[in-house]
Amino acid sequence: MALPPPDPQFVLRGTSAAVHTLHFSCGGQETDVATLFSGSENGFIHVWNLKTHRVDTALDGHGRRSVYCVETMGSKDRLLSQGRDQRICLWNLAEGRTSVMDSIFTENVGFCRCSLLKVAQERWLMAMAAKALEEVQVLELPSKTSVCTLKPEVGAKLGMPMCLKLWQLSGGAQPLLLAGYEDGSVVLWNLSMGKALSQLVCHSEPVMSLDFDSEKAKGISGSSEKVLSIWSLNEQQNLQVYKTHKLVNAGISDITIRPDKKILATAGWDHRIRIFGWKKMKPLAVLDFHTATVHCVSFSDHRNPRERLLAAGSKDHRISIWSIYTQT
Amino acid sequence: MAVLDTPQEAFAALRPACVQLTKMQTLENVAQLRAGLALVSAPALQELQEYVLFPLRFTLKVPKPKQERLVQSVVQCIATVLATTRIKKQELLQELFSELCTCLSPLSGSSKKASPSEELKLTVIHALHTLMHSAYKDVILSLYQPSTLPLLGFAVSLLLGLAEREKAKQIKISALQCLQVLVLQCDCQEHWPLNEDEMQQCGDLFASFLPGISITLSQIITGDIKQGHKATVSAIRLFYLVVGSVMADAQLARVPKNKEKPQAEQSRIQELMVHRGPEWSRSTAEKLSLLLHKVVEFSSVHPHWKVRLELVELVQHLLRSCSQSLVGSFSHLLKALVGLVSDENGDVQSRCNEVLRGIAEQRIVVQNRALADVLSENLHALATALPRLMNSQDDAGRVSTLSLLLGYLKLLGPKVNIVLNSVSHLHRLSKALMQVLELDVTDVKIVEDRRCGPAGSLQHSLLSGRRQKKYFRFFTEEKVFQLLQQVCRVLGYYGNLYLLVDHFLGLYVESGLYRKQAAMVLNELMAGAAGLGVDVLHEREVSLSVDDLKGSIMSILDEYTDQANWYLITSIDAEEIGHEHTVQRPGLAARTGGTHSSILLPSPEPCITTRTMNSNIWQICIQLEGVSCFAAVLGKEFRLLLLSALYPVLEKAGDDTLLISETALGTLVDICEACGYDSVQHLINENSDYLVNGISLNLRQLAHQAHASQVLDTMLRHSDASLLPLVEDVIQDVLSTLDQSYNNQASTFLRVLHSVMTALVQWFCSPCGEEHQENSAAKQRSRDSSQGQQVVTGHEVERFFFDYIQQKQIAEGDLPDTGGEEADEDPSLTKLEPNGSDPEGEAPLPSHAQVAKDVMERCIHLLSDGNLRVRLKVLCTLAKNCGDFLRQRFSKDVLPKLTSSLLSQAPASARAGPVYNHTLAFKLQLAVLQGLGSLCEKLDMGESDLDKVADACLIYLSAKQPLKLQEAAQSVFFHLMHVDPDSTWLLLNEVCCPHQYEPPHASLRPVKLSGMGRQRNEFTDNVLFLLERLQQQESTTPQTGTREASPS
Repeated sequence: MALPPPDPQFVLRGTSAAVHTLHFSCGGQETDVATLFSGSENGFIHVWNLKTHRVDTALDGHGRRSVYCVETMGSKDRLLSQGRDQRICLWNLAEGRTSVMDSIFTENVGFCRCSLLKVAQERWLMAMAAKALEEVQVLELPSKTSVCTLKPEVGAKLGMPMCLKLWQLSGGAQPLLLAGYEDGSVVLWNLSMGKALSQLVCHSEPVMSLDFDSEKAKGISGSSEKVLSIWSLNEQQNLQVYKTHKLVNAGISDITIRPDKKILATAGWDHRIRIFGWKKMKPLAVLDFHTATVHCVSFSDHRNPRERLLAAGSKDHRISIWSIYTQT
Repeated sequence: MAVLDTPQEAFAALRPACVQLTKMQTLENVAQLRAGLALVSAPALQELQEYVLFPLRFTLKVPKPKQERLVQSVVQCIATVLATTRIKKQELLQELFSELCTCLSPLSGSSKKASPSEELKLTVIHALHTLMHSAYKDVILSLYQPSTLPLLGFAVSLLLGLAEREKAKQIKISALQCLQVLVLQCDCQEHWPLNEDEMQQCGDLFASFLPGISITLSQIITGDIKQGHKATVSAIRLFYLVVGSVMADAQLARVPKNKEKPQAEQSRIQELMVHRGPEWSRSTAEKLSLLLHKVVEFSSVHPHWKVRLELVELVQHLLRSCSQSLVGSFSHLLKALVGLVSDENGDVQSRCNEVLRGIAEQRIVVQNRALADVLSENLHALATALPRLMNSQDDAGRVSTLSLLLGYLKLLGPKVNIVLNSVSHLHRLSKALMQVLELDVTDVKIVEDRRCGPAGSLQHSLLSGRRQKKYFRFFTEEKVFQLLQQVCRVLGYYGNLYLLVDHFLGLYVESGLYRKQAAMVLNELMAGAAGLGVDVLHEREVSLSVDDLKGSIMSILDEYTDQANWYLITSIDAEEIGHEHTVQRPGLAARTGGTHSSILLPSPEPCITTRTMNSNIWQICIQLEGVSCFAAVLGKEFRLLLLSALYPVLEKAGDDTLLISETALGTLVDICEACGYDSVQHLINENSDYLVNGISLNLRQLAHQAHASQVLDTMLRHSDASLLPLVEDVIQDVLSTLDQSYNNQASTFLRVLHSVMTALVQWFCSPCGEEHQENSAAKQRSRDSSQGQQVVTGHEVERFFFDYIQQKQIAEGDLPDTGGEEADEDPSLTKLEPNGSDPEGEAPLPSHAQVAKDVMERCIHLLSDGNLRVRLKVLCTLAKNCGDFLRQRFSKDVLPKLTSSLLSQAPASARAGPVYNHTLAFKLQLAVLQGLGSLCEKLDMGESDLDKVADACLIYLSAKQPLKLQEAAQSVFFHLMHVDPDSTWLLLNEVCCPHQYEPPHASLRPVKLSGMGRQRNEFTDNVLFLLERLQQQESTTPQTGTREASPS
């Protein structure tokens, strides 16, 4: 018989609001303290010290409007956050500072998380939902120059972009963008041509989250349905349905493949975190702790694989930290 | 006196006497010369030295038989001359020396071989002594040439003979002192220090005498104690001076490898000379080792302290000068030294410590591998014998054995790792410690002492609860424990911490038998490693870094707080038994409840002896002490570990076993101190996030729910409103957990729910509290006039239980006759909300009100509880508040069972011995007796029921019953007296009546009570006591009723 699922290693409390996004920063120097950033509904970004399990600082930069995306740019001193105030803020946290260096006004009313890709030293690409409902805009950071705007063909009726994933093959190939849309389709965009390369209807409901494994050229998406859809990208850059996985309860708010591409975690509306083997989608564990919808799951980037953690943020204001399958 | 200053004058004065003496060797002439000498000044005499000495020496040399007294007088006279003059010629010294020695030998001239008289011997020895002091250094050194070896040897053997065989103490001592001068080791300061070559030369010479001297001296030292301590002391001193000079490492190192080829003319003499080569020194050291062993054994237990003090000097001297040559003897020497550290005499002790410290400071041991080997061998031997010694010795013996052990460790210092790195050594040592530290776990009281009162009173018990004294199986003396503590700390201070921690953790895990001891050792090791409370001889080279300490501490803590080591059965109370049991037999209580009389009997308990529980309690306490200790070691750094350590400690603070909870409270205080928190409150408040985490995770596991709820309970009591956002979700967790486990957890959760409510009221109701308080107080008064004074939070408690009862009634489909109450209660809840609540009524409640509402909703379900204890508790509360409703049911269903169980159990408890007090049956009897009185009073029971109660309780007034039961039975009667004094009086008098009642009128029949005139029996004392109380009660309260029969 399989072992019972573990308990959380620790539970972080004190955001006093639903947690929408999580981002680890643990891969720095050994002397650096591992850090977890969390963005919550009340507009605060909490910087958690994973040694003391306490909040080091709380950043307030989105006018108390929900923060739904937090990313670091290179080091944990440079932070990017996106909030419902229609702004993306760039933070400088070095030496205890807590100031917003720069911000981008997105004019987008949705809650599509932006996607960040480092393309060169001190140069990032960022994709975000634009002001026009169906459009995605790609900017270069930190210069904020627009790279392209991705407009669906007239009459495509994709609806709003729901989730974005910028990626590129190792070896500095062209960056590509995967976008999940309101109508349930996933579209692969070529940035330089500003053209859709392939479109695949994965769901009949809006795509809530997707993640992509560029090595295996395989991705996974979840929606409000009871289905996880796994799709692959062939050499002709066509998206194909690879398989689908039935769930017991409907609704997936977040999907993350662990950086080592061995397992993936989903955040469920049924309060549960599910762990699957990425290769065959073998269900490995159901982590039951939260008492409300889980909004986000994130894997840590610890250098030592044994220290790696999984964090999940939920509507119940709690962030659960798990240590799972670290030996495999 | 000296008046003749010039040599000329002196010569004139002394000449006649000298001439006379040369002619006629008589006593008178000698006396005349002496008289003359007294008048001559020292410088003058110096000039005439040889002139004056001549007649005297001539007298000695005259080959005819001499009177002893004459010889003595002459020698005295010579001594007088020598005392004031210096010898400048080598020949004179040698001649005088040999002449004086001749006087000591059995009179060679006479054939009788009579030994000289004692006086003469003493005089000659004295003269020799003076002679040695009067010669200049270079002159003296001429005596120490290979050519004079025979002469020296002669003198040495003579003096040794005297020291050994003479009966007179004075001669013995003088001979030994003279010998000391002879080997150039005089105590007085007049001598010039010898240079290296000279010392080497003398050493070569003395080596020839070493066998003789050392054997003889060791015989003197180990001889009859009656010879007095002075001789022994002198002998010891001489022994070590000689040995120390001949065997000195510095000298031996300079000895050439091969003996020089003797030149022809000196060959005879050279044959006598010893070559102190390696071969020689090894064999000599072996022989000396035997002698030293004998000497040390004997004098270390010598009754006179000066002898023992001299032994310390011996050890010190030899260790300092012969640490390589005599290394084989060091085990004896060090053993003696280390053993004398705890000598009964203060001087010996302090000197010993000084010497030890000196040894340590000079790093003799640290730099000398061989010595360290010796020490570790000793240590090994001692560790092997330790358990046996601890078993067989008395406490004084144990103290000395352990000081020996401690001394070895201290001396070894950093070299202790040599010992620890050897598996067998470490094994022996640790086994010994494990055996010695075995605790005595037979004390029943430890198990029996329960925490009294509610969990809340943290501060109160802090003052009283410091470290509980431990009782050990093999010793009682506190000093022994302190020594053991020091042993462990010194180990931790010098030893390789990783190795030690690893080893003792291994023992801890390996066997339950060693677990407590290993934990004790680990605690002390860590203290020692941090240098806390450790007394050492020299500083270690590198002290451990905080990270090293933290690493070790974390691994120890992980073991300590592991479920298997932290959650141990410490009590057989129903609530405490691992909940697995309850789970295994669900509904057991319900089933047995059906059979009439067994309802109150204990259910069969798992086989756990008091010893096991006692042992478990101690294990937990030791582990808690460990946490204290680790906090002290890490100081503020320990704050990081609070993440994992605070929750378990707080859990134990709420333990029902007194010892555990007190120890845990002590630990909390220690943590506060170490981490810089002002108070326990502060500590809990600051770390409530860690605690909440522990609580929520533990709530997920059935077996730990009770503990988790206890911690939450404690935490709620010590926090403020700022905690609410943190605990909110935990309270929800508690409630949902409760939802899943009404069967077995209700009673524990009840307490938490109660404290949640109390806390909420405290945190949020203070502004409107006053009004609310009055309101509810008034309500109470009107409802129950007999209610006594309430404690401050009484109304809250009341309110909570009211709600509870109400729910119960609703649940049972019985609407109470006090129907209005229901309406009263709900508003009190809504009062918790701020006054200006949303007019629409749809807005969410403030979080505290929401929590309160949720708690209340749960109370509905709390009523169908299967646990007897909960039911009894509930019953009393119910009775207090709605007697009417309950009375009937109580008298019909409950009372018969209670009384019949009391009756059936009475014979058992009357027969039982003191152990009975610890059985569950006893506790149930006690609980019933304690509760029954107030229950009857509250319920306002009818007469027949009261009779039943009185009958059942009467037998417990018997003196044969355990005292506690008697007291409880008395309490029942106190209540009965309140309810119905008259019938109680009658009942008691039926048993025993102290008074005769005279009828006031002759026509009335005399009162006959069956208790009258009875023999004193088992009930008498208690009944008389009760009657007395009844009398007091009746005389203080004005009575309205009629009372024909009662005496007034």
